[in-house]
Amino acid sequence: MSKTSKGKAPTGLTRRTVLSGAAAVGLAGVARAQTPAEIKVGLIVPLSGIYTRPGQVMKMGAEMGIEHINAQGGIKALGGAKLKLVVIDCGDTTEKAKNAAQRMVAQEPDLVAATGSYLSSFTLAVTEVTERAELPVLTLSYSDLLTDRGFKYIFQTAATASRQSELGLPTLMKLAENASGKRPKTVAMLMDNTATSVATAKALKEKLFAQEGLQLVVEEVWTPPLSDATPLIQKVRSAKPDLLLFMPNAVSDAKLGLEKISEFGLGQGKIPTVSFSITIAEPDMLQSVSPETVQGIMTIVANWGSKGHEALIAELKAKYKEPWMTQNVISTYGDMWLMKEALEKAGKADRNSVAQALRTMDAGPSKYYPGGQLKFDEKGRRVGAGVVIVQWQSGVPVTVYPPDLAQAEPFWPKKS
Amino acid sequence: MLPMRSLLPPLLFTLAYAGISLGVTNSYYQLILTLVPVWAVFGLSWNLLSGYTGLISFGHAAFFGIGAYATALGQIYFNISPWLLIPIAAMLGGIAGLLIGFPTFRLQGHYFALAMLAYPLAILYVFEWLGFQEVTLPIKRDAPIAYMQFADPHIYTLLGLALMLATIVLTQVIERSRFGMALLAIKQNEAAAEAAGINTLAWKLRAITLSGAIAAAIGGFYAQVLLVVTPASVFGMLVSAQALTVAMFGGVGTVWGPVIGSVILIPLAEILHAEAGARIPGIQGVIFGLAIVCVILLAPEGLFWKLRDLWRKRTASKTDVSDRPEAAATNVTTLKPASQQRTATGEVVLEVRSLSRSFGGLKAVQDVSFQLHKNEILGIIGPNGAGKTTLFNLLNGFLKPSQGEVLIDGRNMSGQRPHVICEAGIGRTFQVMRPFLRMSILDNVVVGAYVRARTEDQARQFAADAVARVGLSAVAHRVAGELSTKELRLMELARAVAGQPRILLLDETLAGLGHGEADEVVAVIQQLARDGMTIAIIEHTMQAMVRLVDRFLVLDHGAVITEGLPEVVTRDNRVIEAYLGKKWAGHAAN
Repeated sequence: MSKTSKGKAPTGLTRRTVLSGAAAVGLAGVARAQTPAEIKVGLIVPLSGIYTRPGQVMKMGAEMGIEHINAQGGIKALGGAKLKLVVIDCGDTTEKAKNAAQRMVAQEPDLVAATGSYLSSFTLAVTEVTERAELPVLTLSYSDLLTDRGFKYIFQTAATASRQSELGLPTLMKLAENASGKRPKTVAMLMDNTATSVATAKALKEKLFAQEGLQLVVEEVWTPPLSDATPLIQKVRSAKPDLLLFMPNAVSDAKLGLEKISEFGLGQGKIPTVSFSITIAEPDMLQSVSPETVQGIMTIVANWGSKGHEALIAELKAKYKEPWMTQNVISTYGDMWLMKEALEKAGKADRNSVAQALRTMDAGPSKYYPGGQLKFDEKGRRVGAGVVIVQWQSGVPVTVYPPDLAQAEPFWPKKS
Repeated sequence: MLPMRSLLPPLLFTLAYAGISLGVTNSYYQLILTLVPVWAVFGLSWNLLSGYTGLISFGHAAFFGIGAYATALGQIYFNISPWLLIPIAAMLGGIAGLLIGFPTFRLQGHYFALAMLAYPLAILYVFEWLGFQEVTLPIKRDAPIAYMQFADPHIYTLLGLALMLATIVLTQVIERSRFGMALLAIKQNEAAAEAAGINTLAWKLRAITLSGAIAAAIGGFYAQVLLVVTPASVFGMLVSAQALTVAMFGGVGTVWGPVIGSVILIPLAEILHAEAGARIPGIQGVIFGLAIVCVILLAPEGLFWKLRDLWRKRTASKTDVSDRPEAAATNVTTLKPASQQRTATGEVVLEVRSLSRSFGGLKAVQDVSFQLHKNEILGIIGPNGAGKTTLFNLLNGFLKPSQGEVLIDGRNMSGQRPHVICEAGIGRTFQVMRPFLRMSILDNVVVGAYVRARTEDQARQFAADAVARVGLSAVAHRVAGELSTKELRLMELARAVAGQPRILLLDETLAGLGHGEADEVVAVIQQLARDGMTIAIIEHTMQAMVRLVDRFLVLDHGAVITEGLPEVVTRDNRVIEAYLGKKWAGHAAN
């Protein structure tokens, strides 16, 4: 073999040299890890390409988390060892995410845990790698598939998509009944065909609408990007449903739809509008639509900056100029604390011990995720994970449900 | 089939690559080493269709994705092993190629490229609609090897390499065969290829079927490596673009192009992603894009050709001194005196009966009838726009006549496809030359020989004969790019002759030649006629024609105005009037 490889000597040799150099660096890393002055945790999120923005926001949450943990004395069980964040860009395609994950496990052998990767497709690819490398990964992605593969090293902190609709819709119905005095009877559903929307819609159509006595009068699906919302909204206007489920996953789609709703005179709660993703409550929304257009619109999300997080929200505002705290920030912030908790429990800076600690953890009510406890079932789903309902009120999406987290009273727009 | 000399480089390359791969322990570098052959094979599959035929496909992701999804879904729903699924995927890809190719090959150039773009995008939405937004391959903990799941990442690289070696060898075999020649001929000039007896549609369909099969197979393997399949990751624009990028960067129309492109670009993109991207996220895309732009500007046909040209130039300048004089000396064809002893027999080999063709309101050819006798040289003349070339196009099948018949040996052949007419014994040359500039004269001529040749050797033999008949034997191994106009004209003639036609249609063969040069070509044509060829020739330059032809057919405004012996026709008032206008007709009469 060595004889034949001479044919390709120039590039081959240089590459090999580079590789052995890299391997040496890796070995040095292992040697250092034995007396952990610092413990490395990973953040693998999109920092280039079209999903950069959510990735950046997640990074803010992670940085704040690390800073707070270290300021409060680091990991006490490990002699006050400090946490160190390793940030890895997972790019904007599934292949890049997989490559990045491979790089993470190969180049950072002393990582004890990681969190990521925003889009569930990326998290799927990343966890295929981390599972084989036995690196525990926390995720805020909520595709059911993530924790349906029998994996042992993935921990889903958010309620899964189908669970979110199961929890969200009945709550929403109650909210409507309390506020307006009558239960909605008909519903229109406008959705894009991304994986999350499809999963949510499936649960709604197969079970929940019937369970809640709702009749589906309009159902329209589009493929992002939405080019014109007129035909969709026209159908809604003529059907006059009691409730409109509007489920975009791109800010531009959300903007087009909401503007059209407003233009057709259905805005400001003429038809109560509800979404199922954080897109509609992203700070970017205000760059393209006015606060009046979004007033009263609600969305059911897996997590949100809520009551009890005031200091955090203020710090986020001051430090990163973010107007409010989305799921991406608070969940990633919470992930850092969850990793700390696991490290304290494991008492060892070792990925398998951390994974085991996460599996057996029972740390009571969760501070940074809504509902339930810091405890995972055998699939890796957080026990009792709940949802948050957020409503646009005077240009800010505020938590209105559950009551213990609510920053404001919900208002149910009354039909005039 | 393949000489050892050409088998050795890919074999050595593969072994060297495998050696490097086995020396790499870092799993991340190993993954990159696995992806290089994956994208190289995908680039090769693209190259097989687009590189050789010149029909650019922007939609190779269609095949790739079909393969990936077949492999993933087959495991999930039917529990079939990928060892079996990848061949099945290849079959599906081949079928998809056939189904896509059949309607799409009606389009040409940019229209073909755009139509191809649409297929993967359309299929992408179908898969989304079917609910396959995210598909993951199930982990088989009890039988990992039966399901192509290896704990040791080296094995993926070795499998990828095996696929790459197989594809390289397959491509090389094709490149050297009638198949590859046919595809190259299509790339240069589809019409000319068809006229040279190549059934272009059939070869293109074979190419896209094979290309689709390879793309689907590697797509299936890719799914196995990536473990997650989403519509965007296998049907997306970026996937189709990847095939183009590696092939165009490395070199189009050569087996090494996609391999070079992949070996450089895939690791480069990853290194940039890992190193630069960690500091300034997003910068990797900018650098990568700029690198590609620079290389394309410096080496528009890809690195391989640029390097080869540079290397050739260096070696050529060394051997130049000894090479040139010899070539110049033997290049001159001895001009034999025109002989009139050749006797045109009375036997009619081609008969045209009231042939007409109109384009909208324009009657390009109207009611033309004439006979071509065995062994005669018929000159077809007429002013610009008289319908001469249109007449040829009707004769060899490029155009279908609106009316009338073309009888070859008494059989009505009007409306047949050009390659069928070529098989019937009609060869033709073109006004505008389209030689394969990088190929030798002999290789250029071989393309024309396949219509008669049964075997590769016979085709070579026919080609060598044809080259000898036009007097180019001495320079037969020079590349066409170095030839003069006269030599190119003779080469075109040889290409038509190589198909062993009985009738030759020559379209302005003397155009653009100097005085002496025209005489040399005329001598060759006369020799062909003496050897028993029947020839119809279109020409503007009367002088050479008068000495060459037995009989003239004069066209004006699409119709025959007169027909007869040269000396009679050149004095005919109607002919002078057609060429020079009424005023001169009066002069000539005086």
